[in-house]
Amino acid sequence: MKKRTITIYLLLGLALLALAVLNIHTGSVSLSPGEILRIIFTGDRSQQSGVIIWNLRVPRVAAAILLGGALSISGFLLQTFFSNPIAGPYILGVSSGAKLVVACVMIIMLGHGMVIGSLGMIASAFVGSLAVMGFVLAIATRVKTMSILIVCGVMVGYICSAVTEFMITFADDSNIINLHNWSMGSFSGITWSNVRAIAIVVLAGAVLAFFMSKSMSAFQLGENYAKSVGVNMRAFRIKLILLSSVLSATVTAFAGPVSFVGIAVPHLARMVFKTSKPIILIPGAFLGGAVFCLLCDLLARNLFAPTEMSISTITAVFGAPIVIAMLIRRKK
Amino acid sequence: MSQAILKTEALAAGYAGRIIAEQVGIQVCPGEIVALIGPNGSGKTTLLKTVAGFLEPIGGAVYLDGRDLSAFPRSEMARIMSVMMTERMATDQMTVRDVVSLGRYPYTGMLGRLTEKDQGIVDRALTRVGMTEFSERIFNDLSDGQKQRALLARSIAQEPKILLLDEPTSYLDIYHKLRFIDILKDLVSGGEMGVLMSVHELEIAYEISSRVVCLSADGHIKAFGTPQEVFSEQVINDLYQLEPGRLRSMYGGFLSAIKAEPSAPDQEE
Repeated sequence: MKKRTITIYLLLGLALLALAVLNIHTGSVSLSPGEILRIIFTGDRSQQSGVIIWNLRVPRVAAAILLGGALSISGFLLQTFFSNPIAGPYILGVSSGAKLVVACVMIIMLGHGMVIGSLGMIASAFVGSLAVMGFVLAIATRVKTMSILIVCGVMVGYICSAVTEFMITFADDSNIINLHNWSMGSFSGITWSNVRAIAIVVLAGAVLAFFMSKSMSAFQLGENYAKSVGVNMRAFRIKLILLSSVLSATVTAFAGPVSFVGIAVPHLARMVFKTSKPIILIPGAFLGGAVFCLLCDLLARNLFAPTEMSISTITAVFGAPIVIAMLIRRKK
Repeated sequence: MSQAILKTEALAAGYAGRIIAEQVGIQVCPGEIVALIGPNGSGKTTLLKTVAGFLEPIGGAVYLDGRDLSAFPRSEMARIMSVMMTERMATDQMTVRDVVSLGRYPYTGMLGRLTEKDQGIVDRALTRVGMTEFSERIFNDLSDGQKQRALLARSIAQEPKILLLDEPTSYLDIYHKLRFIDILKDLVSGGEMGVLMSVHELEIAYEISSRVVCLSADGHIKAFGTPQEVFSEQVINDLYQLEPGRLRSMYGGFLSAIKAEPSAPDQEE
């Protein structure tokens, strides 16, 4: 591995650690570093401070890391699929599709007095992701222009969001407030059992994506070339779509739709690593996405504390300008 | 002549049951370049795609190294046959070296890591096409001619016995055309590798091929033989439906115009 690659991995690792500590430290209840260390190392949950650290802040940090990484890899896979760096689960409407189905399932289940488990949430989100993805792919067979495809994706996203908002407005349940926060995007309220489900799905997805890096690199040189060296293109495409949908569905299931991370982070990774090799970029994008989401969540929680902003607001502020810059540079 | 590395028998090629070229019987031996010529739409690319195994033959068969193509696992096929076609690529930040390294694809493990031996083969491929000094450059920033040479190096790194090329010189200026065909000639001169290439420029087909396949507009082979046998005014006029004398007037006029130019004024005595 090149020196540059190793250095950047190390720096990202350090940033991840630092931000994780900072995220655990800051919050509406201020705790001394000594107290936090004691709680972390003893696992003491007898006092209120222990409950805040263990049941609120640590799972939230874990979720931000895993979901940020998942979102970046999901974006990277879609970019590979479309051979275009401006593709991602949010901009193509996939996240909103997932949101719609999860909201439907939740409202119906709550109406019948049932609770939906972590895997049930992921499954609902996955169904929604695939439905929108299928629609986008159907359009892609008719129009070959990426920009039109993206506009269609954005429109589908709006429709799904509108329907979701409509249902949330008219559903009557005490959990609606939570549902509303979630539909705007937030890492709050994530439990340890959520984290366990997220970890299993996201880590498995990330590893599978990593092992696709060889065929992805062949595909970068063109479909015919990939075929000629033995990539089964049909299976390859199906795997890309399924993996990216599972990953972005997991994010949406627990944190709602999170904007622009899927495009901005892989792009930043390509720039700082100065490479297009998937084998370097997949771990790089995962780490980068984790760092990016930890930072954004830190800001979302603390900028206007005690009022918490939605995570998508912050990621859009950082992510959208990067995407605009990419669009302008590509036109040159 | 040594045994053919690539052979087709009564091959019918096309898409979704629609035959574009049929009754194709050609063969390529190690050490020779076979040129595939014919008008636009005659099915040159379709034929190459079928020979490459991208399309199922509608009829007949393709034999690679004496074995039916359909009996080959793709990964094994890639160690014998390399394919270079014009297509959309997303190389982005890839360097020339990254591109050429992918030629080792059929030989590397699950993660595609190169061994020292692979690196050596990549180095030699780069030298062979004269791209060593460009190896760390971004592929996308190269000129078309340099790109084609880099892609050729990728195919060389694949160490095939047969190389399929689809109009490799079409977008190149005259310097890069000549450079490219000189490298190709050098490649087959060892007698290890054969080349099957479609080409529009008749003069290139004449210059480098040991045999020429003429595919007519209706997708049948009109002639298959050495350039000396094939290239008659009659055959070319029929193949491309040219007015009699048109070809000669153009090329002849062009060549005599070049001859008329004095090479250097002060040497004219």
